[in-house]
Amino acid sequence: MPAKSQVEIVADLAAMLQNFEDREYSGHIGPETRFFGDLGFASIDAVILGEQLETYYGRKIAFNRFLVELMESGAEDLEVGQLAEFLERELAT
Amino acid sequence: MHEGRARESKQENRNRFMPKLTFDALKLHYQQSGEGPDVVLLHAFTGNMAVWAFSGTVEYLSREFRVTSYDLRGHGASSAPPHGYNSAHMAEDFRRLHDALGLGPAFLVTHSYGGVIAMHAALLTPEKVRGVILSDTYFPGLREIEPDMGQTVIWRDMQEHFQSVGEEIGGTVNFSRLFDVVRRLSPEQMQGIKKRMGAAGARWLAQAGKLAGTTAGDEMFEVAGLTRERLCEIQQPVLALYDEFSPFKATCRFLTEHLPNCRADVVPGAKHFAPMECSATFNEMVRRQLRQWRDGAAQSTDAA
Repeated sequence: MPAKSQVEIVADLAAMLQNFEDREYSGHIGPETRFFGDLGFASIDAVILGEQLETYYGRKIAFNRFLVELMESGAEDLEVGQLAEFLERELAT
Repeated sequence: MHEGRARESKQENRNRFMPKLTFDALKLHYQQSGEGPDVVLLHAFTGNMAVWAFSGTVEYLSREFRVTSYDLRGHGASSAPPHGYNSAHMAEDFRRLHDALGLGPAFLVTHSYGGVIAMHAALLTPEKVRGVILSDTYFPGLREIEPDMGQTVIWRDMQEHFQSVGEEIGGTVNFSRLFDVVRRLSPEQMQGIKKRMGAAGARWLAQAGKLAGTTAGDEMFEVAGLTRERLCEIQQPVLALYDEFSPFKATCRFLTEHLPNCRADVVPGAKHFAPMECSATFNEMVRRQLRQWRDGAAQSTDAA
């Protein structure tokens, strides 16, 4: 799959998250939307999201490494824009 | 597209991207990465396999082992049957997963209740278990040496969190009651508790109601055949990692004094949740032990 811009990836994520695991989210999803605080993610949802991203983009994604870096940075939540930034780098490799 | 067909297509897609093993009505969600001797990760009661992703354990160990993590029945993305949650049932799930994935004899790395399952598996299917690493495990079969299990600090903290939003979970550990209370929390109450519990607690709380309506809360405390005497029969090497502020220090002493091949170590600073609280230290201690066991076995083979 060719590289994608962050804007395109945010749009991909928004479509994916609007009905994630059969849970509808009616609010706007943009770069500042928080996975745990706004979308109500549980920890297992992050794992499932990683699996869905690999299927969607048709390639392995170092999502576990991304989660570890996130935890090591002391972050309490994750924004859609942060994930898009990571995915942009990842898909360009 | 016909609505029924659309539903089926959605389900097919979900099955493709979410690896699951199906045993009768039970579905177990799992992930596997890395190459090398097999390591299987077993999470705690009310946890899920995400703990191993967030703690970096999968990332760290998969550089030199084939690491399989899975959601126990009733947890994470595995299905939640109404019954069957004692350690004998869960050890049987491990056996079926081990067979289905064609794993070799595996090192089991565990947290809390995952250790009860691992030790039960070591006893029932010794050919599938090369060694067990426990992390702050409480054994129902050793309850006589841990008489205060019902009043742990962890539970008291949780009680205070729930009381702050006007809910009571009781002064002694009662998971069935906890699950029911979690299930009927209003969004405002949920937010209030999440704020008090911090990020990791909030991620846990969002899925803690899944076991409501099952018998898991009671069954996890069943001895289920893993008695004090049977525990002492386990021949595989065991590393008993107990936290510096563990509520289960008597259990740690018992294991090192009575099991034929068990040594203990302490995770500094941890208070029952070492994989999350002290991830780097925990991962390094685990890797060091796994390397020793792996390389020790290789040396024995060379010598033979």
